[in-house]
Amino acid sequence: MIESAVFGLLSAMILVPAILAVTLKNIFHCALWLVVSLTGVGGMFALLGADFLFVSQILVYAGGITVLLLFVVLLSGSPKDWVVKQVNAQWGWGLILTGIFVGLLAALFRKLPAAPVPNPSEPTTARLGLLLIRDWVFPFEAISLVLLAALIGAVHFSKRDKTSC
Amino acid sequence: MARGPWTVTGPWAPSQSAESIRRRYISSALVLAAFLLPLFVLTILVGEPDKYFHQAHGFVTQWVANKGGPDWIGSAILIAVPCMVVLTLIQVLPIFLVWWEMKIAAHIQVRLGPMRVGRFHGVLQTIADGIKLLLKEDLVPAGADRWVHFVAPIVAVAPALVCFAPIPLGHAGLAPVGLDVGLLFVLGVSGLSVIGLLMAGWGSNNKYSMLGGLRAAAQVVSYEIPRVISLLPVVMWAGSLQLGEIMMKQSGAWAGFLPKWFIFYPIVGQISFIIYLISSIAETNRTPFDIAEAESELTSGFHTEYSGMKWAMFFMAEYAYMFLACALGAVLFLGGGNPLHSSLGFIPSYVWFFGKTFFLAFLFIWIRWTYPRLRVDRLMEFCWKFLLPWSLANVAVAGFLFLLRMR
Repeated sequence: MIESAVFGLLSAMILVPAILAVTLKNIFHCALWLVVSLTGVGGMFALLGADFLFVSQILVYAGGITVLLLFVVLLSGSPKDWVVKQVNAQWGWGLILTGIFVGLLAALFRKLPAAPVPNPSEPTTARLGLLLIRDWVFPFEAISLVLLAALIGAVHFSKRDKTSC
Repeated sequence: MARGPWTVTGPWAPSQSAESIRRRYISSALVLAAFLLPLFVLTILVGEPDKYFHQAHGFVTQWVANKGGPDWIGSAILIAVPCMVVLTLIQVLPIFLVWWEMKIAAHIQVRLGPMRVGRFHGVLQTIADGIKLLLKEDLVPAGADRWVHFVAPIVAVAPALVCFAPIPLGHAGLAPVGLDVGLLFVLGVSGLSVIGLLMAGWGSNNKYSMLGGLRAAAQVVSYEIPRVISLLPVVMWAGSLQLGEIMMKQSGAWAGFLPKWFIFYPIVGQISFIIYLISSIAETNRTPFDIAEAESELTSGFHTEYSGMKWAMFFMAEYAYMFLACALGAVLFLGGGNPLHSSLGFIPSYVWFFGKTFFLAFLFIWIRWTYPRLRVDRLMEFCWKFLLPWSLANVAVAGFLFLLRMR
């Protein structure tokens, strides 16, 4: 009973700020609502017993990425962005298609067997570590290579051009 | 006439005679000693508090079950009481820490600091300050974004309180929650406070606040990286992220006298500790890393436009983070609640924990009042070009030593 109440609260905490994040005009407010939504996702992980995912969600998304986002908004945002409309003429069609997609997803989830409920008191970190570093070490290293390439690319593009100045 | 630290001259000279002030000083000192000494003896006689808590909890659960009450009351007590204890502790501690900082700063600068309130060395100074802050007018700038301005102090201070959940305040059983990912939890949730600083900077609609918020975000995000990497060797040697377990791994001693605290591990421990100390000071925005609120450049950065209790909440967040960094340092590097030597085991573990934490807090304050402020670009260079490479090299050295031990 308590779990479903917490689930409802967390769902509201994810959905309402997510809608506000895409509809509000003030981009700083949008970014702040996004933080609330991402924290709610972290809470959902915690409810399902995925403690490591919960902490990584907070650490990476709520604490890291959104701070960078807010940082960019502070540096580049200006009040004239607030009068720009958030949607174009096709928002009605977009809404209908999204509704159909959500309906299909709901129908699909009805057909699927219920997922096994994990034991929330069991820690997951050690098992996750073994899976990542021992069983799936090659895909893990491949992904880290992709991230390294992105990092080097970012450094390359942000380096001051010697010819222009 | 005897001149001592209680003698005040000039226009602030008290109306009473020096002799009566001296008498009041000594009598207050005696009252304090009469209060603190029995308290210390009592802590040693009582020992670890958690066994009494578990007895009381068992008794209450039994009583509720006998009366036919619901069984969730027992677990609610088990969660709520430690949380309330920790919350109260964290909210009361800044009162003491601020007074301590004022006194240490004063003595480093060859002054006396607060001497009047509370008669003995101004022990009640911060309580008077708190009452003053409560009574102050709450100002909101005309051009401010009201909601962002209002919520910012809450966002800044709330993660600081949540962070104390997995920290063992003594032996491993004294943690409110024995979280398996405790260390990551503390590091992750403490990163959320930056959002509060950015909100304060943006919501105040003030250029100094904005600059302060930007600087705070850049600094905290940058120094978070060497801080986390400097803690990796600790996790590697302990083989766990749970703070209680990391602390337990540091019990015992080498050769009978050198405690197995992580700071005494050869090379790795010392480098880790120094990088952790430096980047923790930077994380809490304290001098020499206080460019976010540099008083002489930005008036006071992101909290320029705050007054009264809202300002006090930023202040509380800063001290709570300082205490958090010290507590984490004590648990990870100084063995938490483990005694210095097994013959000193009769002193309860939480006394050891708080002793080590306050020692680190003293170190923080000492550094703050000794070094001048770094320039913005040098601050970033110091983080990215010095701390980060050394912390990465430290992880490599730790791995090498680990391999040597395994062979």
